[in-house]
This record gives sequence, C-alpha cells and structure tokens, in this order.
Amino acid sequence: MIRRSAIALLVVMFWWAVLTHAQDVSQSTSSNKSFSARTTHLLGFEGSSNNANGTLSIQGDALQFQKDGKPAVQVPIASVENVSLGEQDKQVGGKAMTLGKAAAPFGGGRAVSLFAHKKYDTVALEYVDANGAVHGALFQLNKGQGEALKNELVAKGARVSQSDGEPGKQSKAEVSNENK
Amino acid sequence: MKTSKGISLFGLAAVVFMMTVAAKCSTKPENSNGAQWSVQVNRVDAGDVNLDPAFQIAIYENLLDELNKTKQFKQVLRDGDRSASNVSDLLILKTSVQKYTPGSETRRAVTTVSGATKLTVRSQLVTRDGKVLFERKVDGNVRFMGGNLRATHNLAHNVAKTIKQSSLQVPSQPAPAQSAEGSASSKRT
Repeated sequence: MIRRSAIALLVVMFWWAVLTHAQDVSQSTSSNKSFSARTTHLLGFEGSSNNANGTLSIQGDALQFQKDGKPAVQVPIASVENVSLGEQDKQVGGKAMTLGKAAAPFGGGRAVSLFAHKKYDTVALEYVDANGAVHGALFQLNKGQGEALKNELVAKGARVSQSDGEPGKQSKAEVSNENK
Repeated sequence: MKTSKGISLFGLAAVVFMMTVAAKCSTKPENSNGAQWSVQVNRVDAGDVNLDPAFQIAIYENLLDELNKTKQFKQVLRDGDRSASNVSDLLILKTSVQKYTPGSETRRAVTTVSGATKLTVRSQLVTRDGKVLFERKVDGNVRFMGGNLRATHNLAHNVAKTIKQSSLQVPSQPAPAQSAEGSASSKRT
C-alpha cells in the first residue's frame, strides 16, 4: 500500500515537473511593439518588493514595473547606466515541491530534481536617481526575453559597459583573485 | 489573601516591565555618547574574478539592506549620493571580491554534497582621508537550500554582523593610522 502511494506520488511529481518545464508563458515582444513581459522582480527596483511577480514594460522613455494590483513604479531609461544579462538555472515548484521532494521515499525527490528545473534570463540594471545615488535592480525573465529587453533599453538610450557584451553565464571553474 | 495575590501579580507585572526596559536598553548602539558614523556603500569591485553582474548588484543592494537593519549607522548612503558631501562623520565601505565559486541549485538538490555557491570578499571601512578603520575577509555561501543569489544575502548579512561586532572608533576621537587586519569567516549557509 505504502509502495503504491509512494509510486503514485513520484509519478504525480514527475508530471508536475515535466509540465512546469514545458510551460512557456512567453509574452515576448514583437518587433514593432514596446517591450512588455511577465517578470519576477528579484531585488533593488525602488518602490517594489523583492521577489514580486509583475509586468515589466517600456512606457515611452521609462522602464516600468507593475506588481499585480499595485501602482506602477517607473525609472527613466536615460538614467540607466548599465544593463547586463545573465542566466540562472532554478528549481521550479516552490516550497511545496521542495517539501514533496523531501518527503518522497527511496531518494525519489532527487530524481525529480533532475527534471524540475528551468533556465531563466536575469537582467541586471544599474541606474542613478535624482540625487546621483546608484541603484541596482535584478529581474528574472523567461529565456530569450532578456536580450529583447536589453536591446530595446539600449535603443532608447540606456548605456552598456564594454565588458557586458556577452551574457554572464556561470562557468564551472572556481575563480579567484586572492593575490590582489 | 486576595490582597496578597493582587500584590504578587502587581510585582510580577513590574518585574516583566523592568526586564523589557532592560532588554531595550541593551540593544542600543554601542556608541552611547551620541556620536555615530554614517556609511556610504561603494559599488562592489569584482577585480579579476569573473563574477556575474547580477551577483555584483545583489551584493551591493543586500549590503545596503543589511547595514540599515543593524541600525549601527546614522545614515546608510549609496554610491554617488551627492548628499554624502554634507555628512560629517562618514565612512566608506569598499567591497572587493576575492573568490567566487559558481554553484548549481540543481546539483545541490540532486546530490546534497556538491554544487555549493561560495563567495569571499574583502570589506574595508575607510574614512574620507583614506584611513582604514576596519578590514576583514568575509564569506557567504549557499550549501543546501535556496537559489544561488542567496549567497549574496548571506554574505551581506555576515559583513553587517562582522562590522557590528567590531569595535569601531568613535567619530569624535582621532582615528588610528590603521586597524589590525584580521580574517573573520563567519559562515551562514
């Protein structure tokens, strides 16, 4: 009986992982429309709470983030001093999935973890406020949307530092500058 | 009988009140003479380390958050803030990345023992005239649960904790030439 329910749990978790992985809620932009996409604000955008889901869009000369049901927060694109792209591989399913994986018998949770992950683009912005103070903001977007956002920001006057030509993918090797 | 019960209850309430007041007094900042530093957090210097820009920004923002939480400083200012020129007792927090091991949340979830994200930075608190009042090496890691960016939060928390635990010179006193350099590896995973 326990074995059957364990197998059933594993099957359910496996399908959940596969479905979440396959789900592509891409609302990417077409070439003639301004950028607008569902994103997760990780941190730093002033006036928005961390890890908030909402819509990131370009409205005229401003970058706007609007959390569902909350007033929008805007930053002038001209104040963006640097835009860089990165890539993150994250586990999906949240806390419920984590608990389910921990509870799964025979190490089944680990097997599910192999499939329950998804790649995201991260966009890191540095902008200055009216007082000259530097702010950093991080957004997590579906794969492929980061490049579109960066291109549109650059087209509208955002600056990009020379070293940020390539997306910052995480390398496997350990890196250090200990002798500095 | 009733009167003595009432008195003992009143006494108990008084003791609880005194303990609460004492606890509040003990959590006040160490500089009891009223003089308090303000701090300006500089952008993180990645040096030669191939650090993801997202990590650089996350460390900077988390440092601002964590230093504000400690309430050790009168003001916590951002890099480039023009109002810093009007602040009298200002320290500048410089952070340079020494070591970075990119981890993987999936590897951590599958193997438990591998895939840790590790960050080591050198933190310095410097006065306007360049005197180093505080210098430490601090770690921030994610070994088991959480995304890779959690390492930046843990790192900032450790930096703020290390600064709080160190005995900084009171602003009114003349600062020493250079404080003793140490290595604090307070870990939080």
